[in-house]
This record gives sequence, structure tokens and C-alpha cells, in this order.
Amino acid sequence: MSQPMNDDVVLRVDDLSIVYQTKRGNVQATTNISFDLKRGQAMALIGESGSGKTTVSLSLIRKLPKNALITQGQVLYQRDGNVRDVLKLSKRELREFRWKDCAMVFQGSQNAFNPVLKIRTQFEDTARAHGWTDKNAVRERALELLRLVRLDPERVYEAYPHELSGGMKQRTLLALGVLLNPQVVILDEPTTALDILTQRAIIDVLNEMQQRLNFSIIFISHDLSLAAEMADVVATVYAGEIVEIGPVNDMFYDPQHPYTHGLLTSVPKLDHEQDFVSSIAGAPPNLISPPSGCKFHPRCPYATDKCSEDDPTLTGEKPDHLAACWNKDALLEAREEIARKELAQ
Amino acid sequence: MSVINSIFSSIWNFIKRISKNKAGFVGFIGLIIYFIVTFIMPSFVDFDDEPKLDEITGPIGSRIVLAVHVDDVDTYKTMEDLEGKTVGVVSQTGGPIFIEPYEDTVNVETFRWNSRRDGPGIQAGLIALANREIDAMLIFSKSVTEYIDNQEDPELRQLFEDNIAISNPTLGPPHLLGTDTQGRDIATHIVHGGRLLILTAVLGGVISTMIALVFGSLSALFGGVLDNVLTALTNLILAIPRFPLLVVLAGLISFDNTLFLGVLIGLLGWPALMRAIRAQVLSLRERDFVEAAQSLGLSTTHIMLREILPNMISFVAINLIFSITFAMYEQIGLVVLGLAPISDYTWGVMLYFGRTRGTLFNADGASMALAPVLAIALFQVCLVLFARALEEVFDPRLRSAV
Amino acid sequence: MVSQTPDVVAATGQANMLDRLYDSVLNIYRNHTFRVIIQAIITVWAVVTFTFFLVRLMPGNPIDVLIEQILVQEGISYQEAYDRVAASFDFDPDATALDQYFDWFGDVLRLDLGTSITSPGTRVVDEIARYLPWTLFAVGSGLLISFVLGIVLGMTMAYYRNSPLDHILSLFASFMTGVPNYIWGLLIIIILGIQLNWFNVGALRGTYDVNTTPGFNLPFIVSVLEHALLPIITYVVSTLGGWMLNMKSSTMSVLNDDYVNVAEARGLKDSRIITAYVGRNASLPLFTQLTISIGFVLGSGVVIEEIFVYWGLGHYLFASITTRDYTSMQGVFVILVITVVFANLIADLTYGFLDPRVRVSGQK
Ligand SMILES: Nc1ncnc2c1ncn2[C@@H]1O[C@H](COP(=O)(O)OP(=O)(O)O)[C@@H](O)[C@H]1O
Ligand SMILES: [Mg+2]
Repeated sequence: MSQPMNDDVVLRVDDLSIVYQTKRGNVQATTNISFDLKRGQAMALIGESGSGKTTVSLSLIRKLPKNALITQGQVLYQRDGNVRDVLKLSKRELREFRWKDCAMVFQGSQNAFNPVLKIRTQFEDTARAHGWTDKNAVRERALELLRLVRLDPERVYEAYPHELSGGMKQRTLLALGVLLNPQVVILDEPTTALDILTQRAIIDVLNEMQQRLNFSIIFISHDLSLAAEMADVVATVYAGEIVEIGPVNDMFYDPQHPYTHGLLTSVPKLDHEQDFVSSIAGAPPNLISPPSGCKFHPRCPYATDKCSEDDPTLTGEKPDHLAACWNKDALLEAREEIARKELAQ
Repeated sequence: MSVINSIFSSIWNFIKRISKNKAGFVGFIGLIIYFIVTFIMPSFVDFDDEPKLDEITGPIGSRIVLAVHVDDVDTYKTMEDLEGKTVGVVSQTGGPIFIEPYEDTVNVETFRWNSRRDGPGIQAGLIALANREIDAMLIFSKSVTEYIDNQEDPELRQLFEDNIAISNPTLGPPHLLGTDTQGRDIATHIVHGGRLLILTAVLGGVISTMIALVFGSLSALFGGVLDNVLTALTNLILAIPRFPLLVVLAGLISFDNTLFLGVLIGLLGWPALMRAIRAQVLSLRERDFVEAAQSLGLSTTHIMLREILPNMISFVAINLIFSITFAMYEQIGLVVLGLAPISDYTWGVMLYFGRTRGTLFNADGASMALAPVLAIALFQVCLVLFARALEEVFDPRLRSAV
Repeated sequence: MVSQTPDVVAATGQANMLDRLYDSVLNIYRNHTFRVIIQAIITVWAVVTFTFFLVRLMPGNPIDVLIEQILVQEGISYQEAYDRVAASFDFDPDATALDQYFDWFGDVLRLDLGTSITSPGTRVVDEIARYLPWTLFAVGSGLLISFVLGIVLGMTMAYYRNSPLDHILSLFASFMTGVPNYIWGLLIIIILGIQLNWFNVGALRGTYDVNTTPGFNLPFIVSVLEHALLPIITYVVSTLGGWMLNMKSSTMSVLNDDYVNVAEARGLKDSRIITAYVGRNASLPLFTQLTISIGFVLGSGVVIEEIFVYWGLGHYLFASITTRDYTSMQGVFVILVITVVFANLIADLTYGFLDPRVRVSGQK
């Protein structure tokens, strides 16, 4: 992907590989990942637990754990015609970049707010860290955003975190996330810990905010229905690689990779990340010594000898829908078979 | 055979686990050394109870040396060399004690110690030696400096310098830690002064821990009024500074029995631990295996003894150690103030005398206070290091009460 | 309860509800304060009662002992001896035990603690007022210094965990906590005072140099600091290790908390994260321990002050015990307990102020 960046691309991840150095060996958490995120676009990353989604998202704001090593690649952000590689920012530039250009809601962060400071203080802290010291202006913007996420703004603004429920906190965090008008907001499983009604409310709020404020979203989820609702583009991640990427409709109605297909046909069980790919036989591979060739081949019903020898690259008939699979035809046949059976019933 | 094997292998396992934590291993080894020194060595080392007037506050390593006339420096080096000769000693010093085994082979000439510190006893002996009236003299190494080098009378000084030499500077066994204000060997006091102290502290610690265990579990298991009463009592006792309370009690009922003091300290020392144990039992009670036992209708006693206690053993053991350190702290604190029995010569009593007799302020005699200070300090540090290591080895989640 | 209020509400016109919320939060906060104060009062009451029991009713109690002593020494009648002792202890010899108890209680509340037995005519409360400030000064500054230092060093250890610095500091901390405080005191005298000769320990008796005039002048202040220095060092050294180790483990757990991670992602400056996010939260558990520590250190002052011949309340307590001055002893003990309870009260209230969650749930 060495083409020049179009104006409407806000984030480009280019050939990114990350390993975790552990006592037992290097974990290949991310391998040669590339994608473009356009302005106002929402991209969903889906995949089983342990497939490397969080690792990718953390690298986008360079917030990886200490034992992580980025072995190659670039993470380019474009704002007002300037392109910057996040991985090359100095400490200070990085600090200023965070939240102002790219905000992030971490996976499982139930306590994203400092329990001893008022919400107001935490908004002001964020603003001040980025040179915005006019407290009244911050307050006005914050109240507006809190209203946008359908909270009682005055009350929440003066509250302590423990006075808010889980859903309220999550929405407050969304409001805080867009306080500085970032171009990109990353949400790593933002709704996993919440009940189903609250999940809905959050998704609605998020959609509305995105329409109003026009930022781009990277949405990480194992819940396909949420992903379908949020995303314009979906990428399937398996064993640290993007195995398929394409527009949401193509991905759901015309999956090209057996893994994506497996995800779609499995029955999701609420709140149980582990169980939801139960219809794909086998377990995710050991990333310390991953399988040769296509990493999915040990679990793939259509695998051939070629699959265990050569690693397929992302290809596709349509330029925006790519999949890394040697046996797309076999999958197509199988899908037609299933469709016939369903019709017959 | 196999029983012994399994005991050995479990001890070996324990040592392997504790040795992973360096500080803890040091503490463990230290405690073993303390055990040997304070519990086994007293059977082999006699408590030095003999006041020796010229050995008062002798520095570390000082000992009895052999002084002879300069002409005899190469002739008389050991007691054997002196067979049939006349050897001078000074009464009420280490000399007579030292020479006792040789009384059959040498002639002993005793010079009387005079009550004055620079009494004529030693002086007379040295003059006699300088004039070759006697062949050798047993004298304490510190006294040599004091009577010869620091001699103020120029004539005497000349006489001593010209005629007297030390032929054997290492004749007697050294006082490893010097001597106290009565010329007694401090090292033997250290060896003998730990046992009672440690036993009393253990007694106090065990009593505190037992009370805490009983009250804490009762409180947690039965709840209700009992819990409220015990908790209130705990908070109350916790609010009273314990050491001043002990000090005041010492002023009202004089403590004349060390073991009684240990018991009293134990009776006052349980509240903080009781709170921690109560919390432990409360959390254990929520666990599956206890709930299962309850649903089987097993009695509370059974549940406590069979289900909960085994899961708290390490927690209790660790806190027992901390309780022991506290009991020791209080006990010695009272002794240092002179409010606890000083009839048994423990490290604490050594400190008390070191302080009241002013050796603290005497550079030569520092070891009288310093030795017990270090003995106590290192013992406490070993206990703490060991307990911390146990904490990590057993279960890092369990934190101590204090 | 607060969190269950409907959270999807119309945005405006909620001033009324806001007021109510403020009120309820404030009320609960008052409750926390209220509860802490009630507990303090109960403790003081219990200790004052206990002291009464100890001095009047226990077999072999000081009053009986004193009467006995006077009877033997001066051969006067029992009634006369009893009256004299009653005068010192300031109770009405003809009243019932219960009345005496209430009387004693009222006296304590009015800080009337009787007169000294060994120096008749000296009011115990005046003596206490002379000695107490020095103890508060030495113990207070010692605790304050070690608390602050412990927080800083503990955080340093957590930030550089497993580095050589951390290992060395941990070992030091174990030493500092393991060794009893009076042992530290003696070590300081022996090593700093006698062997190294940095301080003339003998000249540092008392709380200030009598050749200076008390007041706000340099020589006096210098001599006050000089005299308090060694006790303060002792308090610092013996408590510092505990704070360090506690702060380290507390900081390590806070560093794993989400909000610290999020604060970094928010691009906050390190200085702000270290102080307001990590430091503030990590030090909260230490405030609970402060309440235990205050009592302990104040109590240990008896030995420390005796070792350094520092004339504070502990020294006075010890002196009154050795001279069997029971009224002074009783007075000092009661005041000591009240001081501890009061200090705990302040620590508790500070905690409530620092942790908003306590104000609502009323628990730590
Ligand atoms: N700090 C770490 N050290 C070592 N391995 C890690 C670390 N974090 C994650 N991993 C491993 O990296 C892989 C990807 O993890 P992650 O990015 O969290 O996946 P996901 O978010 O898709 O569940 C997993 O195999 C996980 O075990
Ligand atoms: Mg994840």
C-alpha cells in the first residue's frame, strides 16, 4: 500500500507487525496488517478473543504494554493535509497527539474515571493538557456533549464517578472522548460489560454523535450484530492477520473467507466471547509458533495441501473487498449448498 | 522410614520455596542461627557471672596477656614455659581465675586489688615484675595500656617501659564482644540472654493470635449481636495506645514475673489481628466449598475446623510472627524503661543496664549496649523478612494485618 | 441510590433536582463526620471510665496504696489520710462511688485532673500543658516527614519496580520497620552521638537550651530544633519503612487501574497523572493506617523521650510512674488517649475529605 494518501484518508496502517516478548518466546500478535480509514467512516474489527484486535488498536495510539515490540510498519495520521507517523512521534508530540487526534475507549475499562475527582475536573484536566485553559468554554462544550449522549449535563458534570451507573459512565466517557474533536475514536469492545439495553443505548448515541461530529471510528467487537449496525467497513482478524476486509454488506452477505463465514454461521451467545465461534472446530493457534502457510488451515474445512505451504495474500474481484484464501471457490460452493438446503426446507 | 522421608522432603520443599525469595532466605537462615545461639549454645557456654575489676567495659576482643621482663620475652611465652616460676596475679580480676588450672605447676603471687581504680595492685605487680621479683604477670590487655602507656608518674613510666614487655598478647581467650561494667564477658550474656525473651515473646504472640483467631472467627461465623459486641470491643482497645497502657499498668501492679508480663502483653495484643481474621473468615465463608459444607448441614465447629481453618493456616502463621515481633517490642520496651523484671539477664536487661550505667556514652563500653541492640534488631529483622517471604510464598493475595 | 435515578432526563430546568442532590450528598457527608465523631466520643468515655475503675476500684488500687502509705508514715487516723488522698485526687470523700464517678467525669470534661501528689499544689493539667506541646511537635513532625517521604519513596519504588533501586529501598524498608523504634534511638545515640560524635547527646537533654529565651527568636528556635532532631529522626526512621512498603504495593495496584491508563491515553502530563491520579488514589489506604500509626508512635514516645531525655508527655508519664505520682499518671494517660482519639478523628475526617466515596457509603 504505498499509494499516496487521498485527502479523505485519516488513518493508514501500513504493513504493521507486533510481537510480545515473553519468557516462553515471541508472541506474533499482529502480522503485516494494512488498512485505510476514511473520514467519517466506521470500521469494525471482528475476530475471536486473542486474535490481536486489542493489540492493533493499542498500537494506533502507541499504548502497547512494555513487552510489545513493533517490528515493522507505519501508522499514519492525516490532518489538514499533514501526514504524521505516530510511531515516530517524540514523547511530547505523542502526548499532544493522544486524545486530540485519536481518542480511545479501552476494552473492559469499567473505571475509566479517577474516583476521587469530579467529572468536571477530569474534563478540565483533559482540556488543559492540550492547551485549552478557558474553563467556561470547556464547560460549555462538555455540557453540550453530555446532552448529546443523553445525560443530565449539569448533574453529571458536577458528579463524582461513583455517583454514576455503568452505562452513564460509558456515555460520559464517549462525551469526554470527543471533547477535543478528534478525527478518530477507537472503541475496544465498548459495550461488553453492559446489559443489553444499555448496549443499545450506547450504540444509538454513538451513531448519532458520529453523524453530528463526523469523526471516524474503529470499532472492535466480537458481537457481529453490533458491528453490522455500527460499521461501514468490516475487517476480520485471525491470528494477528486481517484475513478479509470489505464493505459491511459484502462481508455479511458474501463472505469470501471461511473464517468470516464461520463467524457468521455460529450462534452468538450473549456475553461469552469464548463461545461464540463454537461452530468453528478447533482452537485459535498458538501465536508463539503459528502454523505454516495459511494460519487458519488447521481449522479450515476446505484446506488443501497448498494451504499448509503458502500463505495467501489479500485478493479480490472487487477492489474494496479482499480476502486471503486459496479456496474461495470451495467456500462459494459450500455456501450455495447451504442456501439450497435452506430453500428446500 | 517413609514418614521420615516425607517429613524431610516437605522440609526440603519448603526451603526450596523460601530460598527463591532472597531476603526471606536470609531471614530464615538468620532465625536458624538465632535458634542455635540462644537455645543450643547455652548448654556449652557458661554464663559469665564473675565480676572482674580490671576488665570493666573492656573493648571487643580484649583478653588476658602475659607480661614479662624484657629479657625474658623469648623465654616465657606460654604457661608451660613458666613451670616452677613465679607468676603474679591481681585479686578480684580475671588473673586468679585464669591461673587456677596451673596452680600446681607455677608459684602464684597474688597482689591485692585496691578499691581505687588505678589501685596499687596492678602497679605493685608491675613494679615487682620490672624488678624481677616475679617472672611474669597475668594482666588484662586493656589494663596494659592503662597502666603502662598512660602512666603519669614519669619515673614509673620509665621503669615500666624499660623493663616490661608483653611476650604473649593472646594468652587468654578473647572476650569476643568485650566486657560489661563488671568485667563480665558480654558474648556469654548474649548467648544466654535470648531464650527467655524469645519464649516470652512467643507466648505473648501465641496468646494474641489465639484470642484473635477465636474472636475473629466467632464474630464472622455467628454475626449478629456477638459480632457487634466483639467488633466494638476491638475498636475500643485499638483506640487505646497500648504501650502507655502497659506502662501505666506497670506503675500500678509491678510486674515481677516475666511470664506474667508475656501473658498480659498477649491479652492486650489481639485486636488488629482479630479484625483481619474476621475479614478472612468472612471472605472464606463465601467460597464454594464452605457453602457446600453448610448445605450438607455440617456443624459450625466442623466447618470452622475442617474447612476454614486449614485455608487460613498460612495467614495465621504469618500474623503469628508479626504478633511475636510486637510482643517482643513491648516487652523489651518495658525492660528498657526498667518497668519489667530485670532479675533474668536478658538482652533487654543488658540494654537497661547499658543505659542506666552509662556505657552508652563510653566509646570503649559501647558493646554492652550495642551487642543486645544488634541482637534484638537483627532478630526482629529476620522475623519480618521471613514473614514477608512466607506471605509471598504462600499466597500473595493474603496481606498481613499490620 | 444516587445511581438509580433515571439518567435519561430532559436536559434543562433541573436546578431543583440538583439542589436536592447536593443536599443529600451533603447530608451523607455530615453523617460520615457525625459517625466518626460519635465513635470518638464513645472511645473517650470508655477510657475515662476504665481509668476510674483502674484507679479507684481495682484491688490494690493507688488510692488504697496511698492511704496505707500515709497511715504508716504519719500515723494519723484513717479518715484523715483518706481525706488527704481525696483532696489530691479531687473527689468528694463522702460521696458514693457512683457520684464520684460522675464527678470525675465532669472534671475530665472540664480538664480538671487534680493536683500532683509528689509536688502538692501543682495542677496536673498545667503540667500536661507544659509537656504535651513538645510531644505533639516531635511526634507530629516525625510522622509528617515520614508519611510524605514514604509516599514519595514508595511511589518511586513502584515506578521503578524490580530495578536495583527498588531492591535496595525494599531492603532498607524491611530494616526500618523490623527494628523497634527505641532500638533505633539507641543506635542513633551510640553511632551518631558517641562513635561519630556528630551530636553532643549529653547536652541535648530537655526540649530547648535554657540559656535561650523562649519566644520567636532564632537562638530559641534553633535550640528547639536541635533538641527535637534526634527523636524526630527516630520517629521518621522507624515508621518510614512501613509507609514505603505500603505505598509501593498500593501504587502498584493503582498503576494497574483503568483510569491511569485512560489518563495516559487522554494525553495528560506525567506530572498531573503522578500526583492527582496515581498519588492521590494510592495514598488513600495509607490514611487508614495513619490512624493506627498515630496511636502507636505517640505511645512509643514514652520510651523514645526517655532515651533522649526529651521532656515531653511521655517523659512526664514515666517520671510520674517512677515517683508513684498517681494523679499525674492518671491525668497523662487520659490526655494521651484523648490526644490519640482526636488525632484519629482528624485523620478520619481528612480521609473523608480526600475520598468522595466515603462521604456517601460511610465506609472505608
Ligand atoms: N502483554 C502481553 N504479553 C504477551 N502476550 C500478550 C500480551 N497481550 C496480549 N498478548 C497475546 O497477544 C495475542 C493477541 O491479544 P489481543 O490483542 O488482546 O487479542 P484480542 O483483543 O483480539 O482478544 C493473544 O495471543 C494474547 O495472548
Ligand atoms: Mg481484546
